[in-house]
Amino acid sequence: MSAQTHTQALARPLQADRAAEWLIALGALMIGSGGVLLGVQVDANRGFSGTGYAAFALGGVIALVSTIVRARGSQGLPRDFHGAFAALAAFLGLTFVAGGVLAPGGPWMFAEFAVLLMLAMRRPREGSRWISSGALWLMVALFVFRLWITYQGGRNHWQVLSVPIPILSWLPFDFLAPIQSVSLGSFTPWELGLPPAGVDFPITLGLWTGGFALCSAGIFVVQLAAREHENDRVHDVIHTLPAPLAGLVERLLPEEEWETLGLHGLATRMLCKRIEALVRERAQRQRDITAAVDRAHLLRLSHTDGFSGSIQSAIVDFESGADRRAEE
Amino acid sequence: MPVSLKSPLAARVAIVLASALFLFALVVRGAKPAPMLRPEDQPTEEPRIEQPMQLLARGAALRVGELDRWITKEQLPEWKAVRGSVFSLAGCPETLDWIETAEGQRFERCVASLRSGTRDEAFAALVLVFQLARSTEWKPGMLGHTQHAERVGALLEGWLRAWSGRAAQDPLLVEPSLAALLLYGRVMRVAWRAPVVGYNAAPYERARALISEVVGESAGRTEFGQAFSTRHPTAARSLASSLDILEGFEDECATLYPKLSGDCEER
Repeated sequence: MSAQTHTQALARPLQADRAAEWLIALGALMIGSGGVLLGVQVDANRGFSGTGYAAFALGGVIALVSTIVRARGSQGLPRDFHGAFAALAAFLGLTFVAGGVLAPGGPWMFAEFAVLLMLAMRRPREGSRWISSGALWLMVALFVFRLWITYQGGRNHWQVLSVPIPILSWLPFDFLAPIQSVSLGSFTPWELGLPPAGVDFPITLGLWTGGFALCSAGIFVVQLAAREHENDRVHDVIHTLPAPLAGLVERLLPEEEWETLGLHGLATRMLCKRIEALVRERAQRQRDITAAVDRAHLLRLSHTDGFSGSIQSAIVDFESGADRRAEE
Repeated sequence: MPVSLKSPLAARVAIVLASALFLFALVVRGAKPAPMLRPEDQPTEEPRIEQPMQLLARGAALRVGELDRWITKEQLPEWKAVRGSVFSLAGCPETLDWIETAEGQRFERCVASLRSGTRDEAFAALVLVFQLARSTEWKPGMLGHTQHAERVGALLEGWLRAWSGRAAQDPLLVEPSLAALLLYGRVMRVAWRAPVVGYNAAPYERARALISEVVGESAGRTEFGQAFSTRHPTAARSLASSLDILEGFEDECATLYPKLSGDCEER
């Protein structure tokens, strides 16, 4: 029985490792496919052409700034091929998505770039993902805006919106046409980078929407897989210890806390030292608590009601539990 | 031995494939759109009618005889007779009055017959309709007689329904069919705005229905509609107007044919 259990215990980390590898590859495939779809447009003659490098380059800047901001103060780095590939895939995914939501050129592109850059420079919450839900919603809004101006350009309407002026626009006189409406946010065909034959909007809309969805989902999958992969690394290091000791370490340092404790992305030697320091710190804290409980034993229960009574009751429960464990 | 989807080999293959996709996603962004080669500019070895737009312009009479070689033997005698009568039409009669004469009826039969023939014959039919628009009076005048303009519009409408779908990629017909659409818009706008007070709604609604059919809606233009948007953006832009979708047609037609306004001035 014990031999079989031991074999199963050895097999488990290997399976987990492969699952993370597979998820990284799957997420990267999604990001790659999405990047291709976001990079093409179809013209009226059903010909394909690229969306250009201007917005893509600015997307790369946003991804770079976001990565630097998130990596600041952390010593973690990808330590093996799969970790590095996951980081590369996530970086490219963010570049594709950011480049895909920006207007292809002109002042609108720079205005959107400034908004995204401000968002990328914000310090993220501890443990938050590379794309927070707020950033994702902003990107969705910018993406819809890009689709809208492409639609307007496809109809030869070179402004974001044409607002009719009340009363004037109701009068059926041709000579009033120039002052019957106000154009908001004008742009040019050159800024949109539309092909000479005009864009086939329905097909291009389908390609870009599919690309955006694939890239966003791919980034999410790669992030999860990279985290799982790093957890597997920490798990492997802990399980080089004898099994009972490894179990004790995992009770002191639960897996859910490994990322926040800074165990991800450390070199193996650093990882061992960090685990050793954390175990020492937590064991010491455990001893301190036990000693504090022993001292509290001297205090007889003097209050049985209210907040003080509840705390004393909890300590008594802890103490009796500790006694039972000691007897066992 | 079957390879599981989650095997290390499958994961490695997926990573290689993803790397290739990354590279392709970078390269594809630089792909240049194909230069727009209009159908009429495409090189061809086949003999074809050169500069067909000249046959729709004022100087059509100088070249109309060239069309004889493109008409089938069965149609040729009728074509020669009708082109002779239309191109020698004098006195600027009102359109409907002339069409109701024996010559006019022959003209209508010939146009219908040519329209259902080959593309060259269809083009010859359009040449006849343009010449009719140039040689007869269809301007409504103060009394608002719109029936003449509406008859010219009906001839163009029949031609556009039959040929606009096939014209977008046809080097011979693409430009003439777009010119026919512009003239149609102008003629129907004249009929629509004929009354001194108010508007004549019927021609406008008929024009709107036909234009929507041949050009398509803004979200899904037909091939012909895309060619129209590319070459006549002012007219295409006016399609979105809630007040007057034909205004751009009139403007562009006035540029192409400044005096083709229904009073024989361009003859």
